[in-house]
Amino acid sequence: MAASSMKMHKITHTAAFWGFVAPSVVLFTIFFLIPLVLSIAFSFTNFDGWKTMDFVGLANFAELFRDKNFYGALGRTFVYTLFSLPFKVIIPLLIAALLCSDRVRFKSFSRTLVYIPVLLSSLVVGITINWMFSAEYGLVNFLITSAGGKALDWALNPYLATFVISFASNWASTGFYMIIFIGGIKSISNDIYEAASIDGCTSKQTFLKITIPMLAPTTFLAVLLATVNLLKEYALVQGITQGGPGIKTVFIIQYIFDKGFNSMQYGYASAISFIVMIIFALIAYVQFRFSNNGGEN
Amino acid sequence: MKKAIALLLLAALIMVPAFAGGSKEPKAPENPTVLRVLLSEEPTSGDAFTSTLNKWAEETGNTVDLMVIPYDDQLTKFPLMARNNDLPDLIATTRLTRLYPDEFIDMTDQIDISIFEPQALMIIGQDYTTNQNLCLPYQFTITNVFYNKDAFEKAGIEAPTPDDPWTLEELRANAQILQEKGGVKYGMAMDDSRARYDNMMYMYGGSMVQKAGDSFAVAINSPETIAALTEFIEWNNSVMPKAIWAGGTTDNPADYFQNGDVGIYFSGSWNYNMFYQNIDSFEWGIMPSPVGPAGRSAILGGSGLAVPKNASNSALAIEFIKWFYENPENFSYFLSLDKGLSSIIGVTYTPDDPKVAADYEILQTEVANTSELFNVDESSSWRNYYDNEYRDALHQAVNGDMSAEEALTEFAEMLSRKSGWEMLY
Repeated sequence: MAASSMKMHKITHTAAFWGFVAPSVVLFTIFFLIPLVLSIAFSFTNFDGWKTMDFVGLANFAELFRDKNFYGALGRTFVYTLFSLPFKVIIPLLIAALLCSDRVRFKSFSRTLVYIPVLLSSLVVGITINWMFSAEYGLVNFLITSAGGKALDWALNPYLATFVISFASNWASTGFYMIIFIGGIKSISNDIYEAASIDGCTSKQTFLKITIPMLAPTTFLAVLLATVNLLKEYALVQGITQGGPGIKTVFIIQYIFDKGFNSMQYGYASAISFIVMIIFALIAYVQFRFSNNGGEN
Repeated sequence: MKKAIALLLLAALIMVPAFAGGSKEPKAPENPTVLRVLLSEEPTSGDAFTSTLNKWAEETGNTVDLMVIPYDDQLTKFPLMARNNDLPDLIATTRLTRLYPDEFIDMTDQIDISIFEPQALMIIGQDYTTNQNLCLPYQFTITNVFYNKDAFEKAGIEAPTPDDPWTLEELRANAQILQEKGGVKYGMAMDDSRARYDNMMYMYGGSMVQKAGDSFAVAINSPETIAALTEFIEWNNSVMPKAIWAGGTTDNPADYFQNGDVGIYFSGSWNYNMFYQNIDSFEWGIMPSPVGPAGRSAILGGSGLAVPKNASNSALAIEFIKWFYENPENFSYFLSLDKGLSSIIGVTYTPDDPKVAADYEILQTEVANTSELFNVDESSSWRNYYDNEYRDALHQAVNGDMSAEEALTEFAEMLSRKSGWEMLY
């Protein structure tokens, strides 16, 4: 009788487990696993998105490794990510620390203000940034020339164009990472701060010696998310520079999109996606190892 | 009881996403009087084609349901719509019939094809291999040159005439004068469109391909095209807003012209009506295209109407097409609003405004400047192999990332590899 009850209990637990997990599994399978498997399968074909789909073996991969534009787009993506990542993490961290301080007033209002750009679509962000940085009619150039300066070539200088995209990306995401950091700061025990205060620590020392080390798992999460999002930057590029000047701001996702949807080379685009996915996964793995398994150890 | 409620909740939790993701939206009952039309851009107030559709709806008691998907997005959305059996009844398109010919009704059997201007039918239909007519021309456009009359007057420049057009050298020299004395920021500007630049290529005698027996040979890196692109780069470095053709901005040069910042603007007849409605701060007009070393060039184009085979109301779409094209009064009504060229033989309109009439006359003279080189290029359908890549090559050359020769030779090699056509140079 006891054994039967135990067995029933186990079955109920198992059913409950699968019941709760099933929605996620179903959604994950439909929106991630199936597209992933299809994409890998397409990478071995010359699929044109319509009716042509012949098996071509490794031809797409062979072409990919000869494609200098692929290396160019990938290289630009890495440079852009390395350039933008510190700002993506440090600015929200500082804002979060500021907005958690007892000395600051209107905290909720300020947090809302910083968070609002997160709610905007990339299209709206692109339009806003274009309005600010347009070479001809932009606000920034207007202010520069009004002050007697020389208008900057935002659209012609590749460094300035990359900066504008990075600026837009940071502006649009600071609120998101700020919320993550605020959660992390709030989870640090007050006892530690009180002890530090009794020991005579200055605010700077408290921030550097307590807040930052205690935020290691949160920082890892922010760095990982920011890295992946930067590597996948697409909509802002399309809305601001469309890859120009020349092809100087064509990043890897835009390149994949262009090959797939504009040139109808879905098979080739899938092959690029597959290789890029492996590269991105390796980057995430290295980050994970370097941060002691995300701060767990 | 608690267990039962828990199990019910669990079941509901599982079923919610199933219903949310799996169920189809209920289909509206089929109504044969609703014509679903796919357009490429949101119609502005007084839009010629939308007004004509509304006129038809009013006369026949039918209704029109408009969908808007830009031309570029149509390429990706159309296959999905076809797979899901969710196709519109009538499509205004520039490329879909070329890319998906099996999906459209051949209109040869539905309407008297002889009423159309053969050139319009060929250019917009883009079918050079069969006798099918999948796409019927409705908006027949031509590239042309707008100019800012006030800036010309201020700079002391007299506009060219069809009998005495400018050479490319005169054009550049006058653009320089306009920039210096005409009160405009840029002497000239050109749409960031391959077709606009191609005019210059044809004026130099260059072309994308050349006929080679029954096939073609790649000629885009010929000395003539290299010379054309080299000169174009110079224009960009001196009298044009370089950011447009370097590809680093989403700005539209039409806005520059409308704001009075450009003296001479290379665009097309499709902008005429918009300028006519919007520009009131300065006088403007149309001037004849310039003459290059190999002559003049204008590129015809436009948009056509096509009916998908699997559209639910294809019969109604054909009914509209007959109403639109076979009754000259209806097509004239469209033309009077569109102010563009006519794609139907003998059907035209007479502009009331003398300024429009004068401009329209110059537009008509441009039709004769269509280059034979352009016709050969079009018949090769080279864009089926690469399209954006060509524009990228031009952007890189203008931006100074590579020379004109390098950019064109690299593209020629790509096109040759993909098409199997030999390289001539």
